[in-house]
Amino acid sequence: MKIAELKPGGQPQQGRLVRFSLYFVIGLILIVLPIFLPMYLQGLMTKILVFAIFAMSLDLIWGYTGLSSMGHAAFFGVAGYTTAILIRHYGVVTFLETAPLSILMATLFAAVFGIISLRVSGLYFLMVTLALGQALFSIAWQWYHITGGAFGLTIPPLNLGIPGFTSTAISIYYFVFIFFIICYFLLRRIVNSPFGHVLQGIRENEPRMRALGYNTWLYKYIAFIIAGFFAGISGILFVHWNMLISPYQLGMIQSTYAALCVILGGPGTLVGPVIGAAVVIGLEYGASLYNPERWPLFLGIIFVISVMFLRGGVYPRLNNLWKKVGEKYSYGSTKG
Amino acid sequence: MDLVVLSLLNGVSFGMVLFLLTIGLSITLGLMGIINLSHGALFMVAGFAGWMLVVQLGYSYWLALLVGAIIAGLIGLAIEQGFLSRLYGLTNDQVLLTIGFIYILMNLSLWIWGGRARMPYHDPLLAGTFSIAGWQYPVYRIFIIGAGLILILAIWWLLERTRIGAIIRAGMDDIETAKALGKNMGRINYLVFFLGSFLAGLAGVIGAQMMGPRIGMGWDILLLALIVLVVGGMGSIQGALIGAMVIGLVDSFGRALLPDLAMFFMYIVMIIVLMVKPSGILPRESGG
Repeated sequence: MKIAELKPGGQPQQGRLVRFSLYFVIGLILIVLPIFLPMYLQGLMTKILVFAIFAMSLDLIWGYTGLSSMGHAAFFGVAGYTTAILIRHYGVVTFLETAPLSILMATLFAAVFGIISLRVSGLYFLMVTLALGQALFSIAWQWYHITGGAFGLTIPPLNLGIPGFTSTAISIYYFVFIFFIICYFLLRRIVNSPFGHVLQGIRENEPRMRALGYNTWLYKYIAFIIAGFFAGISGILFVHWNMLISPYQLGMIQSTYAALCVILGGPGTLVGPVIGAAVVIGLEYGASLYNPERWPLFLGIIFVISVMFLRGGVYPRLNNLWKKVGEKYSYGSTKG
Repeated sequence: MDLVVLSLLNGVSFGMVLFLLTIGLSITLGLMGIINLSHGALFMVAGFAGWMLVVQLGYSYWLALLVGAIIAGLIGLAIEQGFLSRLYGLTNDQVLLTIGFIYILMNLSLWIWGGRARMPYHDPLLAGTFSIAGWQYPVYRIFIIGAGLILILAIWWLLERTRIGAIIRAGMDDIETAKALGKNMGRINYLVFFLGSFLAGLAGVIGAQMMGPRIGMGWDILLLALIVLVVGGMGSIQGALIGAMVIGLVDSFGRALLPDLAMFFMYIVMIIVLMVKPSGILPRESGG
């Protein structure tokens, strides 16, 4: 209160103006810019948003709860496979029918995997989630008359079940964008809720939370299931964008992508993983133009750089920079 | 009967390779609290280095064994000294860093040796089959079992009967007290990390006799090592040995009885162990 009184009256408004102009620019980039982009860049932006949802879902458990899962792709892939299997084997074609079932499957898998993996914690948890995800990879690989084996399953273009909707690169983009916005605000609500605060308490000091009377296991378990739910959403969006799902979407490599997005962007921030997804998918695209065969090498180097030099992620740094710029701006304005 | 004995021998020999692979991971984890997920990639690199020496350049298998293990040991040491040593206590960062090194080592190997899976190779001395009581069994598998037994004894001797081993065990039980007693744990850490990676390399060249090196091993073998750790329990020779033998035998009997489902048995074993005894069959009991 006192600080606010000391500050000249005009300043908060100006700060707000700067902030709103930033949101305006971001909104412009996300909403208007894609119309003017060529189709492949529209596709790239779609992929970034899909991975952003996936990375945010991992952030809920990795960044906010302190559960480092290396098998998060399991739920992404299960949802994608459920959609593809429903379309290919059961003749269920519209999104309105496939999506709820697919997300339900992802959530159910999360409920089962959570029971198994939350028996242990820390490094053990990481190993077990990794192994469970890889078990699904093996199933998808072997059960080829259902899953298409190594080649995976292709699906026809997105059918929303709404007359007048045609699947084009730009319509898919906006479709995914709407989901991205909804998921972002839902996850924001969750992490800012009392439930989210308990999760952060568990991350900081689980024994203390337990001593305070919280059933920390249950909180972690619910967080794990919610994360599976959101990973499922990103999985179905992915399969509709890619029109192909293969075992790799279930396995370790896909999980490490999400983990990289989270740590590169800034764990426990939600915005950070979105930035991380943009950087990782953007760089992957750049590498695919230049030398796709060397991409894993660069990917490895990005991991090393993120861990050694960018601890805490990009987003907190940007945020600090942003605050400094804001301060400079407001000092200048008070002087003038 | 034939099938049972054969599967038993196959399982034990595979288990030996898994043990050599896992023991380094287990001890570095127990002693230093450091996890190196690129351990499986070291196994793969050594397998390829050995392949290059034996098949391409025509050197002896025994030289390849030594060179592969030393290369793996040096790469492991470089990763520890250059990077991991700055991340003590930061498990998540260690995990992500070493995942980065999996990508780097796999892609460099792809660059150097190409993407083709290579045939298994061994010394001409080990090429034939061994026949006893009417059964035929490949000599190299017998060699793997023998070499594994000798190395288990050597590791046991090193850890339980030498001064260095006593310091290592003290470090695993209580690193602060070991430091306070004036032990230079830094130097011990070099040694243990080098030895752990060296053994992964040795396992890579020994294992290349039954599974030819291929790039994807960087991930696949890591997965096996992690399952062995989870099943056996971390930080003890006995745990790693039991985990490796269980997974080796489950795998070989699975392959013999239900080949299509073989790869799922080890996951099922892992889940059962987690449900019944989450700390693994034989975890290290003392210490924190």
